[in-house]
Amino acid sequence: MSDILIVSDLGKQFGGIKAVDGLSFAVREGDIHGLIGPNGAGKTTTFNLISGFYKPTHGYVKFFDEEISGLRMHHVARKGVIRTFQHSTLFAELTVLDNVLVGTHMMFKPSLTAAFLGRERQSRAKAIERANEVLEFFGLQAFVDQLAGELSHGHQRALGMAVAMASQPKILLLDEPFTGMNPEETQTMMGLMGKLRDTGITLLLVEHDMTAIMGLCDRITVMNFGKLLTEGKPLEIRNHPDVIEAYLGKQKNAS
Amino acid sequence: MSKPQPLILLSFLLLAVVLIVLPHGLSYSQREILVFLTINILVVSSYRLLTLTGEWSLGHIVMMGVGAYGSALYTKELGVPVPISMILGALTAGIIAWGLSFPLFRMKGFYFLIGSFAAGEIIRLLWKRFRDPFGGPKGIKRIDPFPDIDFGFVRIDFFDPVNYYYFALIIVILCLVILWRIEKSMIGLTFHAVHWQDKLAESTGVNVRAYRTLALVISATFAGLAGTLLAHYIGTVNPNVFDIEQMVFVLTWAIVGGTTTIYGPIIGCIILTALNEIVLREIGLEQGRPLVYGLILIASVLFMPKGLEDVVKKVIELMKQHVFRGRIKDV
Amino acid sequence: MIELLLQTGLNALFAAAYLSLVAVGLVLIFGVMGVINFAHGELFMLGAYVVVALYTNLQMPFFLVVAIGLIFVGLVGIVMEMTMFHPLRDNPLGGLVASIGFLMVIQALIILGFGVRMEHVPPVTQDVIVISEKVRLPVQRLFVILSALVCLSALWLFLKRTKFGWALRASAQDPEAAMLQGISTRTVSIIALFIGAALAGVAGSVAAPVISISPVIGHSVIVSAFIVIIVGGIGSLEGAVLASATYAFIHTVITTFVDGVIADIVGLSLMLMVLIIKPTGMFGTQDRV
Repeated sequence: MSDILIVSDLGKQFGGIKAVDGLSFAVREGDIHGLIGPNGAGKTTTFNLISGFYKPTHGYVKFFDEEISGLRMHHVARKGVIRTFQHSTLFAELTVLDNVLVGTHMMFKPSLTAAFLGRERQSRAKAIERANEVLEFFGLQAFVDQLAGELSHGHQRALGMAVAMASQPKILLLDEPFTGMNPEETQTMMGLMGKLRDTGITLLLVEHDMTAIMGLCDRITVMNFGKLLTEGKPLEIRNHPDVIEAYLGKQKNAS
Repeated sequence: MSKPQPLILLSFLLLAVVLIVLPHGLSYSQREILVFLTINILVVSSYRLLTLTGEWSLGHIVMMGVGAYGSALYTKELGVPVPISMILGALTAGIIAWGLSFPLFRMKGFYFLIGSFAAGEIIRLLWKRFRDPFGGPKGIKRIDPFPDIDFGFVRIDFFDPVNYYYFALIIVILCLVILWRIEKSMIGLTFHAVHWQDKLAESTGVNVRAYRTLALVISATFAGLAGTLLAHYIGTVNPNVFDIEQMVFVLTWAIVGGTTTIYGPIIGCIILTALNEIVLREIGLEQGRPLVYGLILIASVLFMPKGLEDVVKKVIELMKQHVFRGRIKDV
Repeated sequence: MIELLLQTGLNALFAAAYLSLVAVGLVLIFGVMGVINFAHGELFMLGAYVVVALYTNLQMPFFLVVAIGLIFVGLVGIVMEMTMFHPLRDNPLGGLVASIGFLMVIQALIILGFGVRMEHVPPVTQDVIVISEKVRLPVQRLFVILSALVCLSALWLFLKRTKFGWALRASAQDPEAAMLQGISTRTVSIIALFIGAALAGVAGSVAAPVISISPVIGHSVIVSAFIVIIVGGIGSLEGAVLASATYAFIHTVITTFVDGVIADIVGLSLMLMVLIIKPTGMFGTQDRV
């Protein structure tokens, strides 16, 4: 399988602090790829650099051989790179269905003239169809008319992924998807990710908690202090002395 | 949902009859007020479209002025026929708003509010400063009225407030239908999305800046149209017609009525105008308009932050429950 | 030419004096409450009308009237805190809108009480300091400049040297830190409103004999104050003072050599430009919105 996302010599500096410093790694098509590291390792910054939230100070990100770093976020999204956010970032005041409809925005581009003339029914029906498909996929079809803000935590996280899914990503970037979840919700979420991969979507997830994603990922990239620490299969990572030290050392500092 | 269809139809019919009959029961000056009220409904409704994206502007009234000045100048200086100049005036407001969107949408929230205020004041001061072509502080006078329409058997004279009211009413209703459709469309949904979580919207491929700009341009265009309706009725415009005090009135209508529904600002506008023109005029306290408006503004922010529309919503729910008792599960 | 510039500079100094009093009060209230007081120009106007009522009409001694203006307008500030800003403390936009309502109420009340006509307050002294043939400074204007110096220094001492001043500065950054020191945030916000309003009031009172007074002067005052606090960086007191001086000078020069409306346009454009390029202002670094 080929690499679809290539991060090369990526760097981001905030004032004098190098949050990400010369990071390079690649994500293979169809993989679930984990990006882990202790707190403050620069994972979320990397994520923000890939999704266009920040502009890199140096280096680049290529997606299907096309440079996407430096593009604005919605342009990156239009290339098929869709991200989710930490915590439950949703349109809390809109219904579950409307949340996902916003996600279909790119497939069914709204037209002003159609809106003026009230000629939107067809494309809207298609968008709703697509939204319902996605909601079914995530097991949310029972909640379509509920406000997103009223859902349980686990359902909110699923809805966050549903919104991203509705935009038909080629690669889905998930930012700490397991944070704040109980074991049962974690299990469901892991099942969902497996299902997503089976539909042909590549997944890149950032996670602080290493154990949660060991069983899930095909490959794992470990960061520390903004740099690449190591990369490999879960088993290799688990036993890698540098990784153990990075995590243990961090724990020592914390205590 | 489909059950109360005949009821809704009936109430629309009733509303239409009321709107048609209304001016005939009024005095001449009240008819004039009715014309202004109709125009103001368009101003406040177009303002609401912008607030859907979460931004509150203090320059909206100046956009109305751009339409009014534009249409007046196109007829006076270029000899453009009035109906066409009105459309051009509205478009001018849209274009100016588009131009202003570049600096203004680098700001958000309070900064946008202040920025829009500054931009509006600059435009207003330009009208005041440059006698040619804007007429300086005294503005533009003797603007062509809307031309009479002669059907042969009947001649419609738009100097008559009743006729102009019908004309304005038709235009305003048309605009409201368009505004309503925009809101109910996918574009309207995206406006809401931009309001509540702009980063999330952006991450799904929504060009947030473009949608903000779109809302600003549409709202300014309709405000501009309202301005042209005003200009060709009163026949004169000057910078003070579009000053911050007028803007505060628009703000008050929107806040008192509420902005989550399309009817909220309209209710606010009608009720406050009625209060002003009927109650204050009757007791001879017209001078007290700012006093009353100010107190109402404070009171509604403090005690009724959801606006009058919330009261209407509850009444509708109550009526539904009454009519279809048992069939509606809960609110 | 140099004399003209000197004279313009003196005029600017006078404008900067009362403008900085208004702007500093505005920034202080914003820092503590997080709300922009649109009615701040009207507080200036109220200060001027205290002088109209008590000095022009009742012939009370001028400086006593200025002191009364300071306290009276300060109390109006406390009323604002209690009726609007405190109940709306979690809703900055609501507070701003309410202050617009308050602005209209004050303006209407003054119109009901005094009418819309221009008021002229006779000067306390006709003395003029003659620096040269063409450079003169009326003593009345010197009063304004001196009051600004006195008030701003007093404020500075208060902020740096007293417990409450410390709490005021602390709560602008971190409300909880202030609470830890045993000073309730409520006390702090009441004090901030009193001082902020009183500064605007004293500016209006002391400037009353020099400016022309009408119920609508608040408008131009608040517009200038907005320009100044935006240019100065919205959280910064020093920035507000610096920007007041800069703006007053630019505005006075353009008014003298071109005309007043152009000066206003330039001022507003300056503010718009700062908002575009550096929303935190030219002198400030804080950003609370």
